[in-house]
Amino acid sequence: MQKRSTLLKNAFALISVMALISAWWGVTSLGLVRPLILPSPAEVGLGLIDIWNGYLGVPFLNHFKASLSVMLLGYLSAVVVGVSLGIGMAWIPSLDRLFSPVVSAVRPIPPPAWIPLTILWFGIDLTAKVFIVFVAAVVPCLLNSYQGIKNVPVDLLNAGRSLGATKRVLLMEIVVPAALPVILGGLRIALGTAWATIVAAELVVSLAGFGFLIMNGYRNLESNIVFCGMLAVAITGFLMNFLFLRLSQKLVPWMPSEK
Amino acid sequence: MSNKIQNLIWTKQALILCVWVAIWGLIVEIFEVSSDFLPNPVEVLERIVTLSYEPIGAGTLVTHAAASVTRLLSGFLSAMLLGVPLGLLMAYFRPINWAVTPIFELFRYVPPIAWAPFALFWFGAGNAAQAYVIFTSAFPPILINSFLGVKLIDTHLLNAGLSLGARTWTILTEIALPAAFPLIMTGVRIGLAAGWMALIAAEIVAGTGTRDGLGYLILQGQQQLHADLTIGAMAVISVIGVFLDSLLRRVERHFSAWRV
Amino acid sequence: MSQGKSGDRNDLVYEDVCMDFESAAGVVRALDPFSFHILGNEFIVIVGPSGCGKTTLLHITSGLTAPTSGQVLLGGEKIVEPGPDKAIVFQNFSLFPWKSVYDNIEFGLRINGVPLAERRRLVINAIQLIGLEGFEKHFPRQLSGGMQQRVAIARSFVLQPQVLLMDEPFAALDAQNRQLMQEELVRIWQTQKPTVLFITHSVEEAVFLADRIIVMSRRPGRIKEVLRPSDFMGELTSHWRALPYDDVIRRADFQELRARVWRLVKSEIGDRH
Repeated sequence: MQKRSTLLKNAFALISVMALISAWWGVTSLGLVRPLILPSPAEVGLGLIDIWNGYLGVPFLNHFKASLSVMLLGYLSAVVVGVSLGIGMAWIPSLDRLFSPVVSAVRPIPPPAWIPLTILWFGIDLTAKVFIVFVAAVVPCLLNSYQGIKNVPVDLLNAGRSLGATKRVLLMEIVVPAALPVILGGLRIALGTAWATIVAAELVVSLAGFGFLIMNGYRNLESNIVFCGMLAVAITGFLMNFLFLRLSQKLVPWMPSEK
Repeated sequence: MSNKIQNLIWTKQALILCVWVAIWGLIVEIFEVSSDFLPNPVEVLERIVTLSYEPIGAGTLVTHAAASVTRLLSGFLSAMLLGVPLGLLMAYFRPINWAVTPIFELFRYVPPIAWAPFALFWFGAGNAAQAYVIFTSAFPPILINSFLGVKLIDTHLLNAGLSLGARTWTILTEIALPAAFPLIMTGVRIGLAAGWMALIAAEIVAGTGTRDGLGYLILQGQQQLHADLTIGAMAVISVIGVFLDSLLRRVERHFSAWRV
Repeated sequence: MSQGKSGDRNDLVYEDVCMDFESAAGVVRALDPFSFHILGNEFIVIVGPSGCGKTTLLHITSGLTAPTSGQVLLGGEKIVEPGPDKAIVFQNFSLFPWKSVYDNIEFGLRINGVPLAERRRLVINAIQLIGLEGFEKHFPRQLSGGMQQRVAIARSFVLQPQVLLMDEPFAALDAQNRQLMQEELVRIWQTQKPTVLFITHSVEEAVFLADRIIVMSRRPGRIKEVLRPSDFMGELTSHWRALPYDDVIRRADFQELRARVWRLVKSEIGDRH
């Protein structure tokens, strides 16, 4: 019965996707929509080749490296700052009181809203983009680290204390490991946010990267390039998420698996 | 948590925020930071106040805020109208889940803002394009949470309904929907926040044909080197975001009198 | 839905009802072919070790699960789907938490097309029967466990079911409430006397309530023995469940039967517990 339902599920998935692709192909071949609205699969293929060979003179790998490296810089700094501050705030009440108003004020500001201000401050160079990614990613890192520590069951803490653990041992060996699943969850969300933010930043101002690619496709009214850019962004995002999940499972084998 | 305690916490937080703002002001004065770069808080406040009666672009502060919020609502409401029923159906009928999930997963990894160029191709430089971008970002949390809301219902409740003679339509509307309500509301709240973020991003990235909206204000501030305008608009965005969220929480509480 | 006199309508006949489950380890037989005849209006209690298939049997009787083979006949008709004529009461009450006491009890009546005036009358009667006047507008979370279970019973009972199925309904209550609820249940049941199929782990409960006790073996479940408490009741002219629980439990004949049933169940649990 188990095997049968998995088979059925995969069959449905396959049929769904095939239906979508056939509809796409059908609609574009029949010329029901202008190529600007929806590029045909053939055009997308051509676009892919074009990009690979160097659309507008920029090799594909450059885009990839540009987006990814800037994002990683911003992301990693956000992780360091966000996680330590989050844990600190959850563990030390005075830190909490000091910083939580700031966090509550900054948190509802959408990351892209920072873009113009950052441009004002840093111009349009590397620092600016790293800063934007940092601002975007630091919030989930901080919030989840905070919640993760706060949600550790009191019983665990009490068990540790009755066994004679010092504050330091309590934090490092009990609380942080217990909070790790939630913290990692926050890091994963932050990764997605960082990726989306770098693409957004590149849409506004850049000389390389996937966002730049998409923007150029848009400006030249080449919807197939836009499509390819989106595809690249989605695939990279998916791969990063997937790798992160795998890594988490290795690091935290006791964590229940995702939906 | 009683209202009194909540108010106390609020006031404490507000006070500390004022301290931070004061520090901000002090830094600007002591280091004589140019007001193009970082204006002091008083200037930002002045700017916000001026905006209430002196129009920039299409209108005053109220016009811009209203424009942004209206765009948000159209995208957000369509996400809700499609997301909640679809989530319910997917949770209740497995074949629908099997058919929709792969397509959903395919599209999930495209950042909402990346849809902007296509949205512009399809709808031109108007409100519909923004609404679409908002829809893309509000839709996933609403769908996922509606789905989970039903999936996680205690089977006993459904069995009780069946045993009392309820059939599919009754079960869906009178049992599944109320039981899933808390999680659905959470999804709606997350969706609204996501939609709000996407909206501002869309206004900044795609621009607004009509020269209104809070994102437009931020852009104007940057283009004219008026940091006070940019920061002022950001502050307003923050406040509206918090306000919308607390509004939804109120609605949620109103319908949750029965919750344990 | 009125009461038939002979109770033939409420007869439950099990014909070789058998249940297999698929698990990771292969096919597991939860219930060996089970054949039994329950007379209308009888109060049947099933006891047995965990996993002996009693809940499965109840679910099959309610129509929520289909047996792997065999069939159950209610009043001569095969049971194929769940419905109010074989209403089930759960251990965790399963009241709709967003509905008030009144709305919970009214629910089954409404969806089965009973007109408004009639519904009102029936629900108010039911609330009086279970002794919860004044609580009509309360939500389940505002009620104690015992009160919630009374509402759950009323919710099924108001539909005048042919069979009332009860899955360890008092297991989630503390010992004192449990005893009170047993007496309550008897009182409520007397007003309509549907056939009852009651599952429990508690031997005392079984001996107190039952017209007949079915002791199940451990998995795969089959009937180990059937006992009739009235055979043990000596000089009593009516069933001892009509008497206060405290009095009954002190009787020597009660204790003798209890010990006997417990020995049977214990032998099925085995040493490895």
